[in-house]
Amino acid sequence: MNTRELYRFAAALGVLGVVSPAFGLSNSAKTNFVLVQGAGAVVLVLIGVVALACALLRRGPVLVLAGAAALVAAVLQLVQLGRSTNWLEGNGSTFSLLLGLAIGLLVCGLTRTTDAAPVAAASDRLGGGRTDPR
Amino acid sequence: MTTIDAPAPTRTSTSEDRLVRITLAVVRIGVAFLWIENAGWKTPPNFGSLRTFTEDAVSRPVFPPFSWLVQHVVLPNFTFFAWFTLLVEASIGAFLLVGLATRLWALIGLVQVLAITFSALNAPHEWEWSYYLMILAHLALFATAAGRFYGLDGILRPSWLQSSSAPARVLVRFS
Repeated sequence: MNTRELYRFAAALGVLGVVSPAFGLSNSAKTNFVLVQGAGAVVLVLIGVVALACALLRRGPVLVLAGAAALVAAVLQLVQLGRSTNWLEGNGSTFSLLLGLAIGLLVCGLTRTTDAAPVAAASDRLGGGRTDPR
Repeated sequence: MTTIDAPAPTRTSTSEDRLVRITLAVVRIGVAFLWIENAGWKTPPNFGSLRTFTEDAVSRPVFPPFSWLVQHVVLPNFTFFAWFTLLVEASIGAFLLVGLATRLWALIGLVQVLAITFSALNAPHEWEWSYYLMILAHLALFATAAGRFYGLDGILRPSWLQSSSAPARVLVRFS
């Protein structure tokens, strides 16, 4: 595990947040996997932009803030599910996506990293010999 | 004394290896969105559609012990179990999406799919292979430890393997 891998993963999560409004482009229930609209779309894009910027600039503490914001948004969405007041205009799928972003960004931001090359990657790699004793 | 060196990875084996890793990541993320999407129609406070499927376990039994459990435990406490289902399924989607503790969440997903199968398999217009395929997909995610490929499990596992702490040992098992 090294810094570059972790920030690359955080950048991928940021891209997911930025492109998430694309889920709203489909009107078909068969391809509209996540309800992303209105204020919820704005929040997801903002979290995605911050996460992407933090990952590119390698700002771990700010990445934690982005993850915390996603977590707050997830809890807010959960609390307001099915209610007349639904600030993020989402549903359970919106909650699940926000939760995933929160978990990923918080783990990336809170993990202390080194710049060492991956140590055990070979033991976990498919096609090679498995030396992982566990 | 002769030594036998492991063969150097060929270009073909490396590219095939990468193709396998990418494919497993795509499967994991695809299954994650299966759960993410299906958290969308479970709407409190009444959870109308979920109640209908749950009642199917009793009216159209697939596995009688499960039908008994639903009739005598779940339905009398439906609101609690509905919220539990929503939280579990949303969490399965979230953790599979980022590939963290993937083996654990693949197992939880498998249990949840079995519960769904025992409820809805005999409902009208249901395609039975959709449930069988979901079972197979979660077994595949578990067997391949799919979170190790372009997921957080793969990034963090080397540090967990080097650590002697209890949480790290647990995460090694779950990943």
